[in-house]
Amino acid sequence: MTNRKELALNRRDIAVNKLQSLGEKIIEDVNLRNVPSIQVPSRGTSNIVYDDKKRYYVLGDRYGQRSLGNVKQIKKIGQMVYMANFCKSLVQTGKTATLREMYYVSEGWDIDFGDQQESNIVGEDLEVTLGISREDLGLMPEEDGASVYGDITVKDDDVEINALKMGKSGYTISPTIDEVELVDHNVQRVIAVETMGMFHRMVQEKAYNKFDTLIVGLKGQAARATRRFLKRVNEELGLPVYICNDGDPWGFHIAMVIISGSAKLAHVNHELATPDAKFLGVTASDIINYDLPTDPLKDIDVLRLKELYKDPRYKDDFWKVEIKKMLKIGKKAEQQSFSKYGLEYVVDTYLPEKLDAM
Amino acid sequence: MEREASELFEEFKELTASEFFRRNKQMLGFSGKIRSLTMVFHELITNSLDAAEEAGIQPEISIDLKRVDKDHYILKHMDNGPGIPEDFITKVYCTMFAGSKFRNIQSRGQQGLGCSGCVLLSQMTTGKPTRVISGYKKGEKLQGVEMTFKMDVKTNKGLILDRKPAEVTSTGVAIELQFKDVSYSLSEQGAFEYIRRSMIANPHAKITFRDPTGHKYIFERATDVIPPLPKEVLPHPRGVTADDLIFMAKHTDKRRFRSLLTSSLSRMSTKRVNEIQETTKIDLNKRPKDMKWEEAERIVELFAQMDFMAPPTSGLIPIGKVQIEKGIREILNPEFVATTTRKPKTYRGGVSFVIEAGISYGGESGRVVGEQKRAEIMRFANRVPLSFDQGSCAITEALKSIDWKRYGIRDLENAPITVFVNIVSTNVPYLSTGKQSVAPEEEILHEVRQATMKIARSLQKYINAKRAAKDEEMRSKIFETYVPVIMREAALLAGTDVPEYDQILAKVTRRPKILDEIDIDLSELADDDIVGEKDDE
Repeated sequence: MTNRKELALNRRDIAVNKLQSLGEKIIEDVNLRNVPSIQVPSRGTSNIVYDDKKRYYVLGDRYGQRSLGNVKQIKKIGQMVYMANFCKSLVQTGKTATLREMYYVSEGWDIDFGDQQESNIVGEDLEVTLGISREDLGLMPEEDGASVYGDITVKDDDVEINALKMGKSGYTISPTIDEVELVDHNVQRVIAVETMGMFHRMVQEKAYNKFDTLIVGLKGQAARATRRFLKRVNEELGLPVYICNDGDPWGFHIAMVIISGSAKLAHVNHELATPDAKFLGVTASDIINYDLPTDPLKDIDVLRLKELYKDPRYKDDFWKVEIKKMLKIGKKAEQQSFSKYGLEYVVDTYLPEKLDAM
Repeated sequence: MEREASELFEEFKELTASEFFRRNKQMLGFSGKIRSLTMVFHELITNSLDAAEEAGIQPEISIDLKRVDKDHYILKHMDNGPGIPEDFITKVYCTMFAGSKFRNIQSRGQQGLGCSGCVLLSQMTTGKPTRVISGYKKGEKLQGVEMTFKMDVKTNKGLILDRKPAEVTSTGVAIELQFKDVSYSLSEQGAFEYIRRSMIANPHAKITFRDPTGHKYIFERATDVIPPLPKEVLPHPRGVTADDLIFMAKHTDKRRFRSLLTSSLSRMSTKRVNEIQETTKIDLNKRPKDMKWEEAERIVELFAQMDFMAPPTSGLIPIGKVQIEKGIREILNPEFVATTTRKPKTYRGGVSFVIEAGISYGGESGRVVGEQKRAEIMRFANRVPLSFDQGSCAITEALKSIDWKRYGIRDLENAPITVFVNIVSTNVPYLSTGKQSVAPEEEILHEVRQATMKIARSLQKYINAKRAAKDEEMRSKIFETYVPVIMREAALLAGTDVPEYDQILAKVTRRPKILDEIDIDLSELADDDIVGEKDDE
């Protein structure tokens, strides 16, 4: 296995080279007396396609032209070039900035942004144009990633961290997860759960020992850093990833975004999606088989389930059956509803049975 | 108690014209304080212009309006016309319906009421006499006379109070009148606006005006061309009534009715007369005074059914598009002006007329209302500004019926433009004796619309071009701001020196060229190159 630090350095070199190439393309056009233009892959819905082979959304091959000779596009080019320079200095100095920080920095530029929304979009433009994720450009999301508990050792800068020795809340995935080296581990699998309530339940019931697993508390929709972490442990360490969420369309979709990526981030799904991750539950079948306490589906739940049914990411028979079943029983259930049978039930009975079935 | 007819008729009186108008001064246009003064200006100015033009003199008028008290003014009006011979002065100023204009001719005034009307108004409101100094040529000699007089309304004649020789240096008339119950105003209907508009329609004239505050306005002439005098034309058959025929028959020296017809009406050939005789079975060889009313009526009815050539248009003298433009430029100092003079047309089948129009944009075009510029409609008939009754006028109606949006003007009311329309005719169909609005004859409406739409198109082109130039300017500015910054940043990003980019900047600041060049560049690329580039993505 390659040294992570070297790999990270390599990633930085790639980022700097790609940023530099943007400037070189413009200068070269000028020297050839052509009006410089930049081709930015289109992020419109019609250019977001589901790749059956890769099992996640990717961008199609349509792109828009940003020409220096177009009065509406020249400002965007200016913003991109400015931002590229800013990112270049970030990457070169090994620093990161949040999107918000970058927006404030841009106020001092000769071409600024109207609002942060505008600068965020130009940030995405830069990502898709260069084909690298914004984390690699030194632009970090505000929010931390998930909590991880279990026997894994990571190295962040020069500090080695073992996720069993970080207290009950575990190790928090840093937004700079790509710079973190996965040093060692002593687990068989990863179980990610939607809520921190479930995370703590599993820690207390020592699920990490029982199943030789890492426990990941997603805290709802998984942050980019979390998805990146799950992809890395799956692909670099070869650990199977299981996801256990609430038994409703929202829980389904939190799992699916980890598995197949989101449409909005189609341009970086190759860095984020973990197509081999498995959805453990709670399924509609679980609700019936374990006779779980339920809530009736609301109108919006029904609507969402019908949407998911048509979504190409849910085309497997497993999902088709489960969605139809949930619509039929008209009920949903939370992860914590297993407590009906005692707090230990989920770890003692439910998870072993489900893992066996996988 | 019954009274005998003879007793009743003891009180029966004949009214002179002067007496009639003394009782009905609104019929002369003298109603309202502002309007009354505007009408006085109108009468004196049109008289001066007509007189100078008839004498072949470039008109020059000097007006001095002094305020004595509230609604009380002294007006001095002086022109450089041929002057009035001593014996005619009281006839001109004191006798209603006296004048030289009772002909079928294009002229500013027509009824011979104007000047005497002013004298009447002065006398009625102040009781003061009128003073006139006239310089005129008798043979080769320049004569001057000063006269003070009043109007005797009972006899419709002048009453001379004083008469003495005057020292004059040139021909012309100076008149001094006093008025009460009138008011000087800068509004659209006021005297000042009347002068301003007169100057647009009469760019060959010069007017100096000292207003009641003592401010002196000099309206210079914009052209030296004195308009040619209109010729008298014979009435067209379609334009006459049975009464006109009987009147002609009474006053002719012709022996036969048929020769009266051919000599008094235009487009009336012997062949036509024979046709009339054949159809009506009226003996047209009889003496004119034997013509009966019923017969005249039948002939006029027949006129309406016959095809005549349009009336001769030699009697119509339009201002001309060049002269209108000069007038508008001199007075409004606009950014853009377009003018047109249409070909002569006829209304009611037999009265010829010409429509002229001008449109101006920017400068002092439009009228200022509060902080906003509104559109201004200037109506004229035979060069005379029509200041009142705008709402009922055919010109206004025609302008409002135009879909201005098609010409880039969102609504006529709020555009910073002035629209000028002049109708030229020997017989302008006025709606009332005040002669302030034109009757909505279908043909007139049509011509006003056509003329205005034509020049509106030119204005639209100008506005579009101006907008495009402004956009272009803004575009260039954007490029000039951004290109250097982008070059600097791109060079920094690439780690190279800032390249020479003047050519690129020149290229991009001109949009149409750039698009062409990009097209060429793309077509010049080999197919492989395009594929290669795509693979990179």
